[in-house]
Amino acid sequence: MSDQRPASIEVEGLVKEFKKGPRAVDGIDLHVDPGEIYGFLGPNGAGKSTTVLMLTTLLPPDDGTARVAGYEVREDGARVRENIGAALQEAALDPYLSAREHMRLQTALHGLPRAERRRRGDDLIARLGLADAADRKVGGYSGGMKRRLDLALALVHGPRILFLDEPTTGLDPQSRSSLWEEVRRLAKQEGVTVFLTTQYLEEADSLADRVGIIDSGVIVAEGTPESLKAEIGEPSVEAVPVDPSRYEDVMRVLHRFGGDDCPHHADESIAVRLKGGSGSLAEVVRALDAEGIEVAHLQLHAPTLDDVFLAKTGRTLEGADQDDEDGDAETGAPNVAAVQPATA
Amino acid sequence: MSGFARTRSIALAVTWRNLNNFFTNPVLIVPALLFPLFFFTAFAGGLSRVSSAPGFNFAGDYTAFQFVFVLLQASAFGGVFTGFALARDFESGFGRRMMLAAPNRLGILAGYAISAFARAVFIWVLLTAIAIVVGMGVGGGAVDLFGLYALAGIVNLAALMWAAGIALRIRSVQAGPLMQTPVFLILFLAPVYVPIDLLSGWVESAARVNPLTAIIEAGRGFISGAETEVLLAFGAAAGLALALAVWAVTGLRRAEAAGG
Repeated sequence: MSDQRPASIEVEGLVKEFKKGPRAVDGIDLHVDPGEIYGFLGPNGAGKSTTVLMLTTLLPPDDGTARVAGYEVREDGARVRENIGAALQEAALDPYLSAREHMRLQTALHGLPRAERRRRGDDLIARLGLADAADRKVGGYSGGMKRRLDLALALVHGPRILFLDEPTTGLDPQSRSSLWEEVRRLAKQEGVTVFLTTQYLEEADSLADRVGIIDSGVIVAEGTPESLKAEIGEPSVEAVPVDPSRYEDVMRVLHRFGGDDCPHHADESIAVRLKGGSGSLAEVVRALDAEGIEVAHLQLHAPTLDDVFLAKTGRTLEGADQDDEDGDAETGAPNVAAVQPATA
Repeated sequence: MSGFARTRSIALAVTWRNLNNFFTNPVLIVPALLFPLFFFTAFAGGLSRVSSAPGFNFAGDYTAFQFVFVLLQASAFGGVFTGFALARDFESGFGRRMMLAAPNRLGILAGYAISAFARAVFIWVLLTAIAIVVGMGVGGGAVDLFGLYALAGIVNLAALMWAAGIALRIRSVQAGPLMQTPVFLILFLAPVYVPIDLLSGWVESAARVNPLTAIIEAGRGFISGAETEVLLAFGAAAGLALALAVWAVTGLRRAEAAGG
């Protein structure tokens, strides 16, 4: 992205250090353009939420500068807050209030003119698909409904920048998908800048224009999902023969497509990185067929952001979550094109 | 919208939400009503013969004597229970929602203070009505009664500020006993059942240095029409409220520094 445009978020050397702990955020730089969806990807404890708390003025940085909507977070906190909306990690809702009452409270907190409050609240409730439940206490809402209400509340004052901290954690696929649609619509149709933290690879890959990968408080990679994955290299193909005695034959065939990269195997499968890219998958199928090899499983593995994380940190995102011990880590589905079962 | 108007809008929004929860949830409103009524019934009814003790010099009846204490106690605990709500909000993350929306976060604190006062007024009305129904003698005039309720209002504010200071520092409902216990001690280390001159030993010593003693004595003076220690009582109440307001505001700054 161009650095010539005034940034929605501009961060230099941002640091947060908690007492008796390591640096949660260790000198990160960020530049997010207006209307961009920026995905901030990392395992639990990587520093994502701490960064969001600092950028939303909820936590003062220890060092560095952060400008949000053109205002310095430490010096102009009130102006920053006027220009941002945020749905933080847990949808902090009052179980005793209905969606409409939450809207009433939020519009009043933001100082919307009294005449506009009801209309704005009703519009957002309808847009987020909560009209039927608008007068029910949110204590009885599902996780997806709470997330949608949280998003609606973050939008009541028409913010230019929206911070979403792990907005789909714990949601079922349908709720996740509808939230993604709304986020895309906000960015593309209304020009809202979205800063989205996630531990889901699929979410960052699918939603974000650019991704920053953070680990142990440091940004280890940044770019478009495509460019980051392209840095890793070509996709790989994995095959499992129906007849285990044809194992060596499969190895020999795949070796032809792997260039210097020797096929590697695990259990019953053999995999090789395709030197000709995903386009050579058809040739692999034809070659296996020409050799009379029947395969039980053939799968193309495109590089994923997890591969990027692995290349940059030496760990997978899932493994990093387990290391961190602080969460119920989940990762998104791998970016896989599968043919199973298949015969050639 | 001006800065003051925004702060007022925030305070009123927080007030509306707190009162909405209070008045629509039996779990919140029933204990808040039952406790003062129970104490009033138990103290004024069950202990009325205490007023016959030699040296019990009070111009009014024993119901009025106890009414003042229960009114002040209900006011203090109204403030403390509102502090519980504040702690619960920060523990659940709702505090962050308010902190994010508010340009001036003092408006949030003001909202809790207004709602604590409104809760207290509701309980005063009920308690006063019951006291009058059971025949409480009121010797003081309208100005005296205004003085009594003004004192109760300041006590309510001071207790809220104390509890808010704790709530904003600890940001967990586990801070509840820390909010409640000192208030309970101050209340019961005052001349609760008899005038201070009938106390003896360490209880008397504690009561004589307890700032609440002057407030209770002045309140009893107002209701009986024999004003006493008025300046001292208002000075003590206002001083407490002011000091504890500083405590609450520094708590708010701590909460801001800790990320809400």
